[in-house]
Amino acid sequence: MELRSLQQQFLYHLLGESTGLEKVIESTPMMSARDRLNIYANGYRMRLKEALQTDFDKLHSYLGDAQFDALMNRYIDTHPSHTTSLRYFSIALAEMLAQESPYSEHIELAELAKIEQAFANSFDAGNAACLSLEHFASIPEQAWPSLQLTMQPSLQIIACYSNAFAIWKALSAGEPPPEAQHRDEVEYWVVWRRPDLISHYRPLAFAEYTALKSMSEGDSFAELCEQLLDLFSETDTPIKAIGFLQSWVQEDMLAGLDYDGINAT
Amino acid sequence: MTRPFLGFGLGLRTDHYQHIIEHQPPIDWFEILSENYMVPGGKPLANLDRIRQDYPMVMHGVSMSIGSTDPLNTRYLDKLKALIERVEPAWVSDHLCWTTVDHINSHDLLPLPYNEAVIKHIVDRIQAVQDYIGREILIENLSSYVTYHSSEMSEWQFVNEIARRSGCFLLVDINNIFVSANNHHFDPRDYINGIDPDRVMQFHLAGHSYHGEMIIDTHDHPVCESVWDLYQYALERYGAVSTMIERDDNIPPFAELHEELTRAETIARRTLTAEQLAINSGRMMQGVA
Repeated sequence: MELRSLQQQFLYHLLGESTGLEKVIESTPMMSARDRLNIYANGYRMRLKEALQTDFDKLHSYLGDAQFDALMNRYIDTHPSHTTSLRYFSIALAEMLAQESPYSEHIELAELAKIEQAFANSFDAGNAACLSLEHFASIPEQAWPSLQLTMQPSLQIIACYSNAFAIWKALSAGEPPPEAQHRDEVEYWVVWRRPDLISHYRPLAFAEYTALKSMSEGDSFAELCEQLLDLFSETDTPIKAIGFLQSWVQEDMLAGLDYDGINAT
Repeated sequence: MTRPFLGFGLGLRTDHYQHIIEHQPPIDWFEILSENYMVPGGKPLANLDRIRQDYPMVMHGVSMSIGSTDPLNTRYLDKLKALIERVEPAWVSDHLCWTTVDHINSHDLLPLPYNEAVIKHIVDRIQAVQDYIGREILIENLSSYVTYHSSEMSEWQFVNEIARRSGCFLLVDINNIFVSANNHHFDPRDYINGIDPDRVMQFHLAGHSYHGEMIIDTHDHPVCESVWDLYQYALERYGAVSTMIERDDNIPPFAELHEELTRAETIARRTLTAEQLAINSGRMMQGVA
């Protein structure tokens, strides 16, 4: 058999398909070809489960062993790995929970997975220096409308329609989680890593969420103010916007700024 | 060729970061798992950089998939090159196996048939990798649980021939030889005898588990007595080879692994002369070939 066919048969055997691979493997009195191959098939599933258990320990606690095991089996069966590192194997789990029944009927599951994923992403996101208030002091008044900001690579905004963050917090503290609550109104959270390499999180009120999302998507300060005008008066808008910027600087969320072709990081 | 000799090392594991940074234990070198540091930033790379300041390192990967019939993954090799530039390791290793086909990753080190066609395939790929990253690599022998009908030679003949033709070096895992010898009924000393000493650059020592009569390479136990005996036999045949304990699971406190490593050093000092065991890390891999 050609090496390529052999490798394909071997891999699809690991994925649970019947390939007839036993015919090219030696059986011995010690162990049959089938049992020898099953060592690999069992190892494959076990290894992927270990990766999922590591990445989603809060979701695991929340669902319990049996339900989490069923979830892992479903994910493994439908998501063969295309990454070179197990660190990224679980990347589509939150999406699967959000889209597939019965998980999608319990929105807190996908949101809990998103929260765990956000912390993992924040943990090893790219490094960037933090902006200080001095960086802003030197911006000429006429340049402010064109000001654009770059967020820390670790910064992520999470939208929750459930009390998933409260569930996550309780599980992190080793406490029993509150009962799941689904809401019509969305709740926003931000997760990011500070220079001490510790990941932080806090809720975002709608106005700050609007501002942070706008700036993280590359809008200018003028465009940000435009959006805030829907929420605040003309007098209050620039004051609110500057207030947000100040708190983002003080909380080490910003990595760079750019205005009129000048940039600072 | 004078073989570089780094001394006695351990696999760098996250459980031990704090101990290593705080106490700087007298370990000659650390081996890192390359993929663990192929991340954008944060703590993994910060700890790596901090520990690298104090210790020589070698890099050990699991995803090169050198035996695969998929095209070489240049995206992976680019990440490997970037990490090599960061770490400046004494050398870089991966496994004589395949992990991926049809771009699906098994995340396992899967065995190859031992025949001439596969040798040619792998020699070409090792040479392509060595050209791409600009240095020789080490390849490590596996533990395996199957034998293909299409194998035409012993594993050691296969390994030796690949090293000879490709110019790569060998990371000889003594435990893997012991495991495969049990699972495939050969004398592990025949394997040791069959390898060209000039190609051997590093040893791994590890533990394993029994699954009925089969032995599974679990790396979650201390090194067993038979593997210590085989290690001594390998030292007698090859001379001084940089040696490390590889523990991947059920990770004990650092002191426990350090004690196990001390046993490796004691065996080496009993087997070889002080002159043979003088640390010689000055010549990195780029200068060896």
